[in-house]
Amino acid sequence: MSPRAIRWTIIAGVLVLWEVLPRAGLVPVLFLPPLTTTLSVAVTEWRSYGAALAVTLSQVMVALLFAVGGGILVGAIVGGVARMRQVLLPVFSSLYAVPLVVLYPVFTAWFGIGSEAKIAFASVYGFFPTMLSTAAGIQTIDPNLMLTARSMGATPVQRLFRVILPAAIPTVLAGLRLGGALVIIGVVVAEMLISSAGIGYLITSSRTVLNSPHVFAGVLLVLLIAIGFDLAMRLLEKRCAAWSGAGRARPGASDVRPAEA
Amino acid sequence: MNHAAVLAGRAVLAAALLGIWEALPRLGIADPELLPPFTVAAATALEMFARPSLRADLWVTTLELLAAVAIALPAGTLLGLLLAESERLARIFDPLIFFLFSIPKSIFLPMFILTMGIGFWQKVAFGVFSTVFIVLMSAAAAVRSVRPDHVFVARAFGASPVQIAWRVYLPSMLPILLEGLRLAVIFGFTAVLLAEMYASRTGMGHQIASWGENFMMDRLFAGVLLLSVIAIVVNETIRAVEARCGHWRQ
Repeated sequence: MSPRAIRWTIIAGVLVLWEVLPRAGLVPVLFLPPLTTTLSVAVTEWRSYGAALAVTLSQVMVALLFAVGGGILVGAIVGGVARMRQVLLPVFSSLYAVPLVVLYPVFTAWFGIGSEAKIAFASVYGFFPTMLSTAAGIQTIDPNLMLTARSMGATPVQRLFRVILPAAIPTVLAGLRLGGALVIIGVVVAEMLISSAGIGYLITSSRTVLNSPHVFAGVLLVLLIAIGFDLAMRLLEKRCAAWSGAGRARPGASDVRPAEA
Repeated sequence: MNHAAVLAGRAVLAAALLGIWEALPRLGIADPELLPPFTVAAATALEMFARPSLRADLWVTTLELLAAVAIALPAGTLLGLLLAESERLARIFDPLIFFLFSIPKSIFLPMFILTMGIGFWQKVAFGVFSTVFIVLMSAAAAVRSVRPDHVFVARAFGASPVQIAWRVYLPSMLPILLEGLRLAVIFGFTAVLLAEMYASRTGMGHQIASWGENFMMDRLFAGVLLLSVIAIVVNETIRAVEARCGHWRQ
C-alpha cells in the first residue's frame, strides 16, 4: 500500500471508531458522542449554531482589522528600520512568552462581557505573532532594491510604499494567515471563558449541562472555520507566489511558529 | 549602534511605558479603579507573593506545567525521532502530524473537561495535548539538522555508535531540542492557565479569573504582572542555555 492509501485508511479508521466505540458502549457517550449524532446536531440545530457563528464571525472581522492591520504596520516599521529592529525586536520576542490569556479578565473588567472585550482580547492575541512574522519577513527583502531606491533619491515614505510594502506582500499574507487563525481562536476562547453570545458561549453552555453532542458539534464547526480560513489563505499565497521570489533575498522564515497553544 | 546604545534604548523604552502606566491613573486621565498605577500593582504583587495562599496557587500551576512538560517532552521526542529516522513512517504520518500541529488546541478544552472533570490531571492532559506536537516537530527537525558529513567523518575515524550519538548527534540536536522545550514551556504555561481560568478551584488562572469577576483590579494587575515576569524570566533562561549550546554553529 502506498503511504497515501495507508494514511487515508487510518483517517477512515478513526472516523469509524468515532462512530462504533460509543455505539458499542465501549466509550461513554458523554465522553465521545457518535460521529453521526454530532453531525445531526449540527444540521438540526443549524439555526442556533448559525446565529452564534454570525456573532463570532462579525467580531472576528473587527479584531482582524486591528490585529492584522496593526501587526503588519508595526511589523513593517520595526523590521524595516535597522535601529528599531536592533532595539525592539528582541524585546517583542521576549514579550511573546507572556501568556496573554490572563489579559481577558482585564478586558472584561474594563469593557464588560459584550463584544468589545472579545474584540480587544482577540486583537491583542493576534497582534504579536503577526507583527513578529512581518518583521522577520521584511528583513528578507533584497537589500539591492532598497539601495537602488535610495540612490535614486526615494524618500523614506516612498521607500516604504513603493519598495518595502510591495516586496513584502508574501510576508503580509503569511502574517494574515497566522494572525487570522489566532484572531478566530481568540474570539472563541474569550467566548468560552466569559461572554453572553457566540459559538464559544454555545459550546460552554452546552458543556455545563453535559450535552456532549452539542459541545462536539460546536468544536467541529470552529475547527472547520479555522481550517477553511487556513486553506483559503494558502491558496491566495500560492497565487501570489509566482512573482514573489523576485524581490526577496531568501525565502521568509515566517512559518516556523506554531499557530497557537 | 553599539551594544550599550541598544541597551540604553530599551531601558528608556521600558521606563517610558511604565511611566505612562504610572502617570495615566495618577493624573486622573484613567480611572485608578480600572487601571491601578504600576507602583500599586507591583507593591500588591510583592505583598501577595509573601502570602502562603498565593504561593500555594502558584505551586499548583507550576506542578501542572512541570507534569505536562515531563510527559510531553519524552513522548514528543521519541515520536519525533521515529518519524525522522524512518522514511516510511514519515511519508505516512508527516501530513497528519502537520495537520494536528497546526490546528488550534484551545478549542478542545471543553472535551477534556467532559472526559476528565476539572482536577489536576485534566489540566496536565490538556497541557500535554497542547505541547506534544511542538516537541515532536522540534525533535524531528533536530534529527534532520545533523549533517551527514559530520556523521561520515566520525565513522571514518572509527567512532562507535555510542560515540556518534553522544559526540555528533547530541551537540547538533541540542539547540533545536532546547528551542522545542522553550516553546513547550511557554505554550504549556498558556494552556494550563487557560484550563484553570475555564474551570478550576485552584491555581493562578483560577485566581486571575475570580479577581477579574470580582473587580479586584489591584490584585488582577498584580497577578498579570507576576505571571508575565515569571514567563519572561523562564523563557530568557532557556534561551540563554540554548545560545550557549548553539554558539559553535556560527
